[in-house]
Amino acid sequence: MFHWLEKNPFFFAVVVFLTIAFAGIVEILPSFAQQSRPVIGTKPYTTLELAGRHVYIKNSCNGCHSQLVRPFKSETDRYGDYSLSGEYAYDRPFLWGSKRTGPDLWRVGNYRTTDWHENHMKDPIAVVPGSIMPAYPWMYTNIADIDTAFAEQLTVAQFFSVPYNKPVPMKDGSTVIVKMGKSVADAHSLALAEAKLIVADMKDQDVKDAVANGQIPEIVAIIAYMNSLK
Amino acid sequence: MNKLYLWGIIIIASMLGFTYISVIRSKGGLNGDIINILTIVGAVALVIITVLVVIKYVRQMQTDTADGELVDQTWDGIGEYRNELPFGWAISFLLTIIWGMWYFTVGYPVNAYSQIGEYNEDVVVHNNKFEKDFNEKMANFSETQKAEYMINMGESVYLAECKICHGLTADGIDGKSTDLNEWGSAKAIVDVINNGSKGLGYPLGEMPAGTASGADALDIAIYVKNGLSGETGSEAFAVSCASCHGADGKGMGGMSPDLTTYDMPAFTVDVLNRGKKGAIGEMPAFNRLNDKQKEAVGAYINSLSE
Repeated sequence: MFHWLEKNPFFFAVVVFLTIAFAGIVEILPSFAQQSRPVIGTKPYTTLELAGRHVYIKNSCNGCHSQLVRPFKSETDRYGDYSLSGEYAYDRPFLWGSKRTGPDLWRVGNYRTTDWHENHMKDPIAVVPGSIMPAYPWMYTNIADIDTAFAEQLTVAQFFSVPYNKPVPMKDGSTVIVKMGKSVADAHSLALAEAKLIVADMKDQDVKDAVANGQIPEIVAIIAYMNSLK
Repeated sequence: MNKLYLWGIIIIASMLGFTYISVIRSKGGLNGDIINILTIVGAVALVIITVLVVIKYVRQMQTDTADGELVDQTWDGIGEYRNELPFGWAISFLLTIIWGMWYFTVGYPVNAYSQIGEYNEDVVVHNNKFEKDFNEKMANFSETQKAEYMINMGESVYLAECKICHGLTADGIDGKSTDLNEWGSAKAIVDVINNGSKGLGYPLGEMPAGTASGADALDIAIYVKNGLSGETGSEAFAVSCASCHGADGKGMGGMSPDLTTYDMPAFTVDVLNRGKKGAIGEMPAFNRLNDKQKEAVGAYINSLSE
């Protein structure tokens, strides 16, 4: 066969290409796969958190806020540990951003809380004097789209094997199971149960009433998402 | 005279002529500038050398015959001369192998750049500098200067980490969080007795609201504020508080908060370490502050209520 290849330059070139390509795949793919494997302690987004992520994208929060802590002392002092690529395993798409008009939000769940977000999204300047962030009053009335969030969960669970309803290892050695509904109605009730926990820490009566009536305003979803960023 | 030399002379002459017309005869010319003259000399030399070298090799192709010793084997009728490896090449080859081994085992792994490595070095340098500066200052300061320094440091940490919830003036931004101007005073203790305390994560769990009320609560507050001494409130404390905090208020060996450290920085440090889910909202733990910073924040907050 090699003799034949030597006489046929075109096929020789093809075989050379295939050999080098194979070597490249063997070298690159395993380390790539290793890097993108979820870091221990990274868990998939719940239905409500995903809905909040959609609100985040819809309002272009990523236009001003990054989600990537770089390994510099000045950044880790302010935002917490630097990011690892495996932490973005369940982010589709990741929202690294390219410009920080506002602060980084990748670990905002570690140092801001439900009630803070509630006050801040309603009137940023009341909480942070001099802030240039606009208020997002419509989030308190718009209803979050749980159906789309559930559709995304179904899709990623099926096509990317995101481990919903399966034990996910955490840093302390325990495991956590992130539930995904079996039907749309099921997904709604799961999201509502989650929303009730968040609303317990909120003060806005309209939002509390909406959740009590089975509606989930966008603010609850985005707070769930913010709190999940740790 | 070979035709080749003739061509060589023609090419040299024409290029020199072209150079003469385009540079020396043109406006400005060499201008007496040494750099210009050197450039032209170089150009002329290059032209002549190039032409001579080309002539040499073309001549060699025309007339040369091969010599040397052929190897025994032929490849499809094509022979090859026996060529010994030059000594210099052999040495360089060996040195390359040795260098390769060094680079593979030591050179690359030891000197490789790593972003995380640089970060770690940066953190170590920064922490050492902080430690050194701090210890130096503390060694030279008097007691009042020390206290002042801690309060100033606490203020700057407060402005970076705490003001986002507790506000620039530490008033809790209109009840959005705890008013730290009162924290450490007797009034704050009455508030805690009335509202309870949640989320510090002590083994004995959460403190319920209303363990004492009215005058009792105020007496207890004064008693705790005075470092658990004096007559006022000692009885009420024994009734309402001692079951969890212990008769001496020390928290029964870590089962509940140690009240003897109230209005000392240590009390604030405890909250910073554990986080808190108060009656208003949730406060995260601030483990990214170092011990000195936490103590400084405690000193600053206590200075607010004095």
